[in-house]
Amino acid sequence: MAQVELANITKSYGPVTVCHDVTLSIAAGEFVTLLGSSGCGKTTTLNMIAGLDDPTSGEIRMGGRRVNELSPVQRDVAMVFQNYALYPHMTVGENIGFTLRLRGMKKTAIRARTEVVAASLELSHVIDRLPAQLSGGQQQRVAIGRALVREPRVFLFDEPFSNLDASLRMRMRAEVKELHQRLGVTSIFVTHDQEEAMSISDRIAVMHRGRVEQVGTPEEIYASPATRYVATFIGSPQIDLFGAVIEREGNEICCCAGSARIPLPPGAVPDIAQGTAVEVGIRAEHVMLSDNGIPARVRLVQPVGPSTHVTLDWECGTLVARLNGFARIETGTQTHFTLDADHLLLFDREQGHRISTH
Amino acid sequence: MRRASIGARLADAGVLVGLIVFAVWSIAPMVWLVLSSLLPQLSLIAQPPQIGLTNWTLSNYLAVFGSAAALGQGIINSFVVASFTTAVALGLGAPAAYALARLSVPKSGAVVLLILATQMLPAIAVAIPLFVIISRLGLIDTRLSLIIVYLSFNLPIVIWILRGFFLGIPLGLERAAAVDGAGLIRTFWLIVLPISVPPLCAAAVFAFIESWNEFFFALILTRQNAQTVPLVISAFAGQYQTVFGQMMAAAVISIAPVIVLAILFRNHIVRGFADGMLKG
Repeated sequence: MAQVELANITKSYGPVTVCHDVTLSIAAGEFVTLLGSSGCGKTTTLNMIAGLDDPTSGEIRMGGRRVNELSPVQRDVAMVFQNYALYPHMTVGENIGFTLRLRGMKKTAIRARTEVVAASLELSHVIDRLPAQLSGGQQQRVAIGRALVREPRVFLFDEPFSNLDASLRMRMRAEVKELHQRLGVTSIFVTHDQEEAMSISDRIAVMHRGRVEQVGTPEEIYASPATRYVATFIGSPQIDLFGAVIEREGNEICCCAGSARIPLPPGAVPDIAQGTAVEVGIRAEHVMLSDNGIPARVRLVQPVGPSTHVTLDWECGTLVARLNGFARIETGTQTHFTLDADHLLLFDREQGHRISTH
Repeated sequence: MRRASIGARLADAGVLVGLIVFAVWSIAPMVWLVLSSLLPQLSLIAQPPQIGLTNWTLSNYLAVFGSAAALGQGIINSFVVASFTTAVALGLGAPAAYALARLSVPKSGAVVLLILATQMLPAIAVAIPLFVIISRLGLIDTRLSLIIVYLSFNLPIVIWILRGFFLGIPLGLERAAAVDGAGLIRTFWLIVLPISVPPLCAAAVFAFIESWNEFFFALILTRQNAQTVPLVISAFAGQYQTVFGQMMAAAVISIAPVIVLAILFRNHIVRGFADGMLKG
């Protein structure tokens, strides 16, 4: 396993720049996910780490050594591709052992090592089959096996579960996480699925328009998003945003939206000027229905099993409240809600960066 | 609903009729060829031709095998020329097509168009210069001269077919091979070629049939020793009499290998052409 560092990586295709000044440091043995919507530059970044694409500028280091000029093999990375990229004319065993064959290893040694890897991924019974004869999950495991057999310094995963159905995806997620815990190899994972990123990663780098917006643990990314984009990209249901104005009265700072006046905890937004226009974000679990508070009307009730999502229409737009269990509440009911001021996220209305301190 | 289903049925019927017409159109000359080869000259030239089963005979075939040693030599010549042309066209065409599909070749679009443009030259336009060049090289009436000439017009088609297929191979496969440690040549040899069997077969059969059937350049560039099958067959049309039955029998014998080839590889050929031509 090796430390991976990206220093000011930029990648341009002609006039189009797809990665802007990406800087990221991944500790040895860490599991980091590059998360973002399609076209944000995450796969390009991964390809540059793999050695499949060259950065236009910047430096990639592995184990403290510059690797820009090295091939994927010299970098000693293994990669799992989005569409598995299994060689269709080779059996499972040949697919897994191909990299060893290229290294000139003896056939018996290749077979032995391939069998161990296949067994660890429960592929022993299909080792002589062609990829086309396997299920999606098995194909995925062959792709992982092909990476495992190398015992590489770094694992790279390019949206490996995007072609699997929901239940299989959950299972493969758990398998990859267990694999990482067992082997401890530095892993870089690319996905657009925020839930996948949250559940699998030690840290997440959220990318947007070719830039890294925020790097942090799943908890940091979720609870303290650095920008409005990160706040809206992470979390399901999506965070609700509404416009508000800051009012100061002595030591008390309030956030005013329509007729609602929400006092902020001390120190939440130090040095903010009276009358500053902000954007307020609040997650569904911090919206509480109550007998008094801000008036609202229930627009939609969506039970999802462990909780119920209740969409509320209020003076400044809509909000979703997450209630525990199956909530007994009717659509169209007039109600009230309160917001947990400790979890309000305030963003600069123009730039979009967070201005509240928690 | 009912209307749509009637419309759909009509459309199906239309397609079926069209396919039948096309099949008859394609197969009828073959049927006539085989039939003619089985009829004696008199039955064949009678008005109308007497094609009844009672008239059928193998005499044409016996005569062709008995008298025309030239046909045997012609078949050998055709086989050698077509095989070498095919092998070299694939050997050169496959790497060239891969390079044009995947490497950053400067002006590759123009190169591909130029390759195709060579097909637009009428044969007659290059016949005289080619004759002069081949005779200066001392290659008149040699198989080598035919191989060289046939290569020049088969190679572009082979490149065109294969390039189209290579473009359609998912880039991920080659990237996976790169991560596994394969360089360009090993990726081509161990990954790309093995999964390209259908277009390789299609291109091979195409080049083989083109070379096997070619008449014009064979007529110009050969005399006696290197005569190919089409020339031998044409020799049955004499100055005073054309022995139609024997000519047809010789033609049937000469197309047999090509038909066997096409039947053996038909699945690959259909897939190969579909993949290669559509994605060009």
